[in-house]
Amino acid sequence: MAEPRWKPVTAWEGIAAPGLFGRIDGAPGVIIELGGHVGMASVSAPAAALGAHYGLALTEAPRAYKIGDMTLIWTAPAQWLATSDDRSLADRLGAALSGVAAVADQSDARAVVRLSGPKARDVLAKGCLVDLHPRAFGPGQVAMTVFGHINVMLRQIDERPTFEIALFRSMAESFWHWLGAAAGEFGADIRG
Amino acid sequence: MRITCPYCGERDVREFSYLGGEPGPRPEGRDADIETMFEHVYQRPNPAGPIREYWYHAAGCHSWLIAERDTRTHAIAAVTAAADREVRS
Repeated sequence: MAEPRWKPVTAWEGIAAPGLFGRIDGAPGVIIELGGHVGMASVSAPAAALGAHYGLALTEAPRAYKIGDMTLIWTAPAQWLATSDDRSLADRLGAALSGVAAVADQSDARAVVRLSGPKARDVLAKGCLVDLHPRAFGPGQVAMTVFGHINVMLRQIDERPTFEIALFRSMAESFWHWLGAAAGEFGADIRG
Repeated sequence: MRITCPYCGERDVREFSYLGGEPGPRPEGRDADIETMFEHVYQRPNPAGPIREYWYHAAGCHSWLIAERDTRTHAIAAVTAAADREVRS
């Protein structure tokens, strides 16, 4: 009997593919990077305990912190989402945070997408309940919110601006309906 | 209507779900009579004026909150995390 052959796929497989999308004249208004093949873990610990472990002033407020190769994202009181390109992140954190936090592997649990380009903010503004104007929202800030009735983690990474959205992967196709419709008029360069 | 979550800041009311007025402390079940327990379990305040009520930040940080809202104007005087509330006796 042949061995079963498993092919890892990201949440966007069969839903979105690299290429140009929407308006075709002129430069694309938004760059959409499809992501998700990352290490991800939920970390349950109060900000004070986790902050003491890392020697950082963490607070119970929606912000993201860069700690080595890891980004630690506040998602709820005493709840964090850790991401890294290192696929073994959950194992690593589980050992490192023993006695400090409960760690559960979330790798492959979420669809991740990054938006940049001159119209990135305009695309998100069409469906976002949070004010993304630079006066109100900036790099490092996080918002647990909804797009089209889908719960997401939204954060701004840099000033360009680059935004990252992570959502449960079972909602990826529904979210893509919204994102495609919102980005189409500006022209989107979708990168895998 | 917008509600200021003590963690997330000001958010649209669509991110929240509503539970109702905050009941008083739970009576001691073995001592209280049936009318007292009925009042506690089923009866909720419904004033024309200020009320303390539960809201859940369902599409945000999943925190239970207590809002002090005036039912006549929807003006919200304060929102605090239910976990931090003083248990009233």
